[in-house]
Amino acid sequence: MMARAWTVYCKELVDALRDRRTLLMVVLSSVAVGPLVLVLVSQLVSGIEKRAEARMVVVQGIEHAPTLANYMARQAYTITPAPANFERLLRDSKLADPVLVVPPDFEALLARGEVPVVELMSSAGNQRAQTGSGRVFRLLRGFNQEQATLRLAVRGISPAALEAMQVEERDLANPGTRAAQLATMVPFFVLMAVLYGALNAALDTTAGERERGSLEPLLMNPAPKAALVLGKWGAVASVGMLIAVLSCLSFLPGQWLLRSETLAALFQFGLREALWFIALLLPLAGALSAVLMAIAIRCKSFKEAQANATVVILGVSLLPLVTLFNQEGAAPWHLWVPALAQSTLMGRVLKGETLVAGDVLISVAVSIALVVIGLAYVTRTLRSAALR
Amino acid sequence: MIEVEQLTKRFTQGSGRSARVVQAVDGVEFGAADGRITGLLGPNGAGKTTTLRMVAALIAPDAGRITVDGLDVATQPALALARMGVLSDARGLYPRLTARENIVYYGRLHGMSAAAANARADVLASTLDMRGLLDRRTEGFSQGERMKTALARALVHDPANIILDEPTNGLDVLATRSLRQALRRLRDDEGKCIVFSSHIMQEVERLCDHVVLVAHGRTAARGTVAELSAMAGETDFEETFVKLAFSPEERQQGAAT
Repeated sequence: MMARAWTVYCKELVDALRDRRTLLMVVLSSVAVGPLVLVLVSQLVSGIEKRAEARMVVVQGIEHAPTLANYMARQAYTITPAPANFERLLRDSKLADPVLVVPPDFEALLARGEVPVVELMSSAGNQRAQTGSGRVFRLLRGFNQEQATLRLAVRGISPAALEAMQVEERDLANPGTRAAQLATMVPFFVLMAVLYGALNAALDTTAGERERGSLEPLLMNPAPKAALVLGKWGAVASVGMLIAVLSCLSFLPGQWLLRSETLAALFQFGLREALWFIALLLPLAGALSAVLMAIAIRCKSFKEAQANATVVILGVSLLPLVTLFNQEGAAPWHLWVPALAQSTLMGRVLKGETLVAGDVLISVAVSIALVVIGLAYVTRTLRSAALR
Repeated sequence: MIEVEQLTKRFTQGSGRSARVVQAVDGVEFGAADGRITGLLGPNGAGKTTTLRMVAALIAPDAGRITVDGLDVATQPALALARMGVLSDARGLYPRLTARENIVYYGRLHGMSAAAANARADVLASTLDMRGLLDRRTEGFSQGERMKTALARALVHDPANIILDEPTNGLDVLATRSLRQALRRLRDDEGKCIVFSSHIMQEVERLCDHVVLVAHGRTAARGTVAELSAMAGETDFEETFVKLAFSPEERQQGAAT
């Protein structure tokens, strides 16, 4: 039995690995895309950081407000005059900084103790300008505070009268938790990689075999059907696992490409995390292979099987979103749902939490159960599938 | 040696109200001796493929008994299959594997060692005149090349009994001739028991030592071509076939259309 299963395994593996074009597409789409997105995000973040470091404000009409200009200069900000058509540029996201518009009578109003109105222009559709406006707000608030303090001092009142309390911001999340915000996309990419890795081989060894008319002759061999199914599943799961490993490891070099130093410090995806990911994904690769085979064996053609497999693809891509929609956070039942369990546990690994053995065992047990059910179904259906 | 006794099989087509019961095989029986080519001749839909699938343990018969070299197919399917080489109606190959790999794969599934299966592939390549094909991938093979590869794959374990379901389907004249020669060689040199199904009379007439006429799921007549012709009182084998396989009404309908 095992010798025959091994024969089938070797043949199916050779067959799958010779399908170079498909394999190349899988590797490109699932192994390369994750790190690529990571690098792109890092470029965006480093751009924002650069702007923050540059301490630069874009102002229209700064000549009307020498006091404000003086304050900004003392805060080590450089002032750039706004381009004439800045409103259009902001709307079209071509200007990456918000624009401060100062009215002509600013200085006069300020001197009289009245309240001049300045406008801070950005566009909700312009992500980069939006991020910058918080910084400019803080700068302007600083100016307000300074002016208020000066006026109170002139009247001999302590600045404490203005502020009933002092507020200081402290972020309780450790750097690891903040990194997890960025890294939440990593589990999604590796989950999809496992799925796409197993997909093609799973359909080819079942529906593909039916379509070619090679299943009927295969069943006329004295090898037990369970051995055939076991060998096929082994090969499919191996391809899925191979892609899983490649995908997890691909984030390691991806990390070196991170442009932003802060991001690189925050996004901690080291060898330890990669190994945990692989350990969590291997059982899932087996389970997904079995489920895909069980779905595909009912289909007469590869194309029909692809259409049916969409359900699984949709499930795997949407289930992890449950954590987003669910306001209560992680619920215990999440660990019993394949794909959701793996994504939850991978999330914990990224946050630097230690995994509880019991939690991991639940997800492994569910995967094993899926493998057993899926393979039993394929074995039972194999003969009737060959004849139909 | 293959013995088939009173085989019956019915299928239910569709489900629910539209379900229809089809009696595919209704009492087929024949014996195929070693060193002979036995032809299963019958019109399309006569039950030939279903019969051969039951012989190959792919479908369980409702009633009847099949023995291969004395082994009951129903109770010892694996042992019986080990003594049979079946070229079924479906003969898909693996396009990304070479002809040799396709053949050796089946040899390994029959429990042969890799070396033995490879050696056997070489022998079969000579027998079937396909040495040039052996190490090419089967993607892009012609019908005849595919058939040869599939036949070699079915014969890799050197079975005593060979079952071929409409092997000449889709083959041109030369490929058909070369197949016929190969089958004669297997019969004469190695004393194989060969069962060959076809709906083409000329095919059966040229090749078969013993003919089993199958019509409406039943064995209509058995014997050599000469015996059957004598039975029908005809000199032409086509007339013999039509007379023995179809009822007078069917013959009239066929003539009218």
